[in-house]
Amino acid sequence: MSRRGIAATALAVTAALGLTACGSSDDEGGANTTAAEPVAGGTLKVAFFPDNPQFTCLDPFQTYWIEHRTVIRNVADSLTDQDPKTGEIKPWLAKSWEVSADGKEYTFHLRDGVTFSDGTKLDAAAVKANFDGAQGVVKETGGTAYGASYILGLDHSEVVDPLTVKVVFSAPNSSFLQASSTTNLAIISPDSYKKTAKERCLGQYVGSGAFTLESYKPNELTVLQKRPGYTWGSALSKNTGEAHLDRVEFSYVAEDSVRTGNLVSGAIDISWPRSPITVEDRELIKKSGGVIESRSLPGVASAYYPNASAGHVLSDLKVRQALYKGIDLATYAKTSFGDDYPVVGGAFDNTTPFYASQASKLAYDPDGAIKLLEEAGWKPGEGGYRYKDGKRLTIVFPTSSLSVSSELIQDQLKKVGIELKLDVHPPAELPALYKNGAYDLASSYFTRADPGALQFLLDPKYANSKALATNAAAPETTAKIQALFAKARETTDDAVRKQAYADLQALLIDEGVVFPQYERVQFAGVSKDVHGFAFTSESFLKLNDVWKQQ
Amino acid sequence: MTRYILGRFAQALGVLWAAYTVTFAVLYLLPSDPIALQLGAAGIETDKLTPAELHTAKARFGLDRPILEQYFSDLWGFLRGDLGESIAKQQSVASLIGDRLAPTLSLSLAAAVVALLAGTALAYLASYVRWRPARLVLTRLPSFGASFPQFFIALVLIQFLSFNLGLLPATGIRGWKSLVMPTITISILVASQLAAVLMRSFDDTLSQPYIVTARAKGLSRAAVQWHHGLRNALLPATTILGVLVGLTVTSSIIAETVFSRNGIGKLAQEAVLAQDVPVVLAIVTLAAAIFVVVNLVVDLLYPLLDPRIVQGQRKEVTI
Repeated sequence: MSRRGIAATALAVTAALGLTACGSSDDEGGANTTAAEPVAGGTLKVAFFPDNPQFTCLDPFQTYWIEHRTVIRNVADSLTDQDPKTGEIKPWLAKSWEVSADGKEYTFHLRDGVTFSDGTKLDAAAVKANFDGAQGVVKETGGTAYGASYILGLDHSEVVDPLTVKVVFSAPNSSFLQASSTTNLAIISPDSYKKTAKERCLGQYVGSGAFTLESYKPNELTVLQKRPGYTWGSALSKNTGEAHLDRVEFSYVAEDSVRTGNLVSGAIDISWPRSPITVEDRELIKKSGGVIESRSLPGVASAYYPNASAGHVLSDLKVRQALYKGIDLATYAKTSFGDDYPVVGGAFDNTTPFYASQASKLAYDPDGAIKLLEEAGWKPGEGGYRYKDGKRLTIVFPTSSLSVSSELIQDQLKKVGIELKLDVHPPAELPALYKNGAYDLASSYFTRADPGALQFLLDPKYANSKALATNAAAPETTAKIQALFAKARETTDDAVRKQAYADLQALLIDEGVVFPQYERVQFAGVSKDVHGFAFTSESFLKLNDVWKQQ
Repeated sequence: MTRYILGRFAQALGVLWAAYTVTFAVLYLLPSDPIALQLGAAGIETDKLTPAELHTAKARFGLDRPILEQYFSDLWGFLRGDLGESIAKQQSVASLIGDRLAPTLSLSLAAAVVALLAGTALAYLASYVRWRPARLVLTRLPSFGASFPQFFIALVLIQFLSFNLGLLPATGIRGWKSLVMPTITISILVASQLAAVLMRSFDDTLSQPYIVTARAKGLSRAAVQWHHGLRNALLPATTILGVLVGLTVTSSIIAETVFSRNGIGKLAQEAVLAQDVPVVLAIVTLAAAIFVVVNLVVDLLYPLLDPRIVQGQRKEVTI
C-alpha cells in the first residue's frame, strides 16, 4: 500500500474514532493568539519536575523520562512526525515512504540538504548508522534499553541510495511507522554513535533540530541554543524555519508550589509539572494573566493490573467485574484533579490513536457490585467487609507512597465490602513483590502515541515484567490478547488495526484485565508573555512556534 | 601532646573505616537488588531477561562479582582515591561529588557561621538581660526555633522574599543572593540548638564561686560575663559543635530540595532512593570524614580552651 493510501486510511480511521485532543485553550496557537507577528529573540525559561534520579540520560534511544524526551524533541528531528490532532504520521526528515505488502520493509526517501549541527550531512548512511547504533545498544544492555520496544523485530537497515534507506524487519511491526516519529528514534549524527552509551546519556551527541544542546547539567540546568540556518521543520509547525527563541533554559524544581510561584512572579516563563497542577495553583496562574495548557499523555492510562492467577481473590471474574462497579472514576478524577479533569475511559488515554472509549462499562454501580459479590459467595461480615469461608475479601495493592487518591479508592471499595490494603514499601522493593506474585493489584503506565505500547505490559512474550503480564489474565484470555496484538502488529491495513485494537480494548474490560485509574494529563502553566505554545503528539513541549513578548 | 594528636588521628581513621563498612553491609543486606531497581526504573523487570542478558546487564554495573570481592576491590579503590562509577548517573562518583560539593560546603559553612554567631549572641543576651519578661522570651526562643519545620520556614521565606517582594531568587545556585534563604532556613534550627546548650552553660558558669569573686573584686557584670563567663561557658557548646556541623549537612537535604540547589544533600537523597551504591558509599564516607575532622578540630581546641584536659591525659599516660 502506498504511503498516501495509509495516510488517507489513518485520517479516516482517526476521524471515525473521534480522537479527541484534550486542550484547555481552543486555539492552537496557545496563549494570547491575538498578538500578531512573532518576535525573534529572547530566552525562554522552563521549570521542570526534578531530573530522573534513577537514570540520568538524555540519549534519545535510551531514555524514557518525559522531561528528557521534551528536550530531545527540540534538538533532534525524526524521520516522520505525528499529528497531535489525528494521530496521522506526516513527513519530516523523510519526505515520503513505502511499506512493503508483507509489512516487513519500510523504505524512507529523505529530504535533501539536511545537516546535523556539527555540519555533517543527514543522509541514508547516517540513518543506517542510527539503526545500527540502536541495535548495538540493545545488544550491549542485554535488551534492557528503553528504545528496544520501538524497533521490535528489526533485522537490519540498508542504504539504497544516498537519500533512500530501507529498514527491514524479521516480522511485521505496524507500530514502527509511529515509532519513526518518536524522540526515541530521533536521528543523531553518526559520530554520536562513536561515543559510548554513557557519554550520549550526558548529552554528547548532535542532532539536526531547531535547537542545539549547549549544556546538560543533570537536575540543574539544561541550555538549548537556536540553530542558525534551520529550514526543515515538520509541516505540523507553523514555523518550519529557524526558531524564534535565541535560547531556552530548563531548570529542575522539586516543589510544585515553588514552580508555580516562580511562574507567577515572572522568574520563569513555563512551569512544566509531572502531576497535574492543583486547582488552587491553576487559579493563581490564571490570576497572574497566565494560561493553563493541558493534554492527555497518549498511551497506556494509569491503571491497575490484577493478579488473576489461581489462589488470588481476583481470579474470579465476578469479583473483578464488581471491582469496576465499586470504583467511582468520575468522583476520583474530580476530587483528585479538579472539576474539568477528563475521566479515564479504558486502558488508554483519550489522545491515543485508535482509542475506543469503554466508559459505559466502567460506570459506578455499587448495587451491581454488591450483587456480583453475593453471587460469587462473598457475604457481609465483621467490620463492613465481605467474607467467604471465613476469609475477608482483601485486595493487596503494594505501593511506594500513600496518597489521598488511593485512600479515596480504598474508601469507595469499602462501601461494597472490599478491603483494599495499601501495602507501603520502598520503591526498591516493589519489583521483587511483583516478581513473586505477592500482590493483587499493581499499577503501571506507558507514554507512547500508539496502542501497541500496551503489549509491553500485557503480552508475556514482550512484556517488560513477565510476572505482571502473566498474572494479569487467565491463559486463554492472554492467548486472545496476544492474538489481537499480533493481528494489529502484522497488518498493513489500518482498518484491520482499528478493528483489532477496538476488540482488544473491549476485551480488556470485559475480561477484567485492566482497571483504569485515571487519565494522565500533562499540564503546563504558561506566562502571558509566551506565545505559540504547542504539544507534540506525545504531549511533549514543542518550541518551533514559541516566541516571547520582549 | 603528640601522643594525644596521634591517638585522635588513629581513632578518626577507625571511624571512617567503620562508617564505610557498615554502609556497605547495610546497602547489600537490603532486600532489593540494585540491578532490579535499575532495570525497574526503565520499566523492565529482571524476569524478562534470559540469564545471559541478566549477566550482561549486571556486568555493566560491576554487580556480577561476589560481595566480598566487591567490598575489597571497592575499599582498595577508595584508598587510592577511585570512588567508582555511579549506577544511575552515568558519571564517575568523584566527578559527581566534585560538581555537587561546592554548593553544599558553601551553604553548610555559611549556615554554621551564622548559627554560631546568632546562637552565641542569643544565649549571651539571654543571660545578660535581667528584666524578667524579656529574659523569659529570650530563653524560650530556642525551643521555638527548633520546633519549626525547616520545610515550612523555607516556603514562608520564599513566599515573602521571592514571590511577594522579589528580593531574592527562589531557586538555583547563582550568586550570593541564592545563598541567603537556604542559610536562614538551616541556621534557625542549628542556632536554636546551640543557644539552648549555651544558655544552660552560662547559667552554670555564672553561678560558679570564681564569678562571685570577680564580682566582689568590683568588676562590672558585663565585664565578668565577657572575660570570665564566655570562655568557660563555651566549653560544653564546643563539644556539640561537631554534631551541629553535621546538622547543617543533613538539613541541606531539605534546603536543597526546596530551593532546587544541586548539592550533596540532594545527591544523597537521590542515591539512596535509586540504591546507587557507589554514590551512597562515597557520600556517607565523606560525611563521616567531615564529622571526624570537625571532631578532631574540637578535640584539638579543648586544650586551648581548658588546659586541664591535656594535663589529665598526660597523667593517665605516665601512669
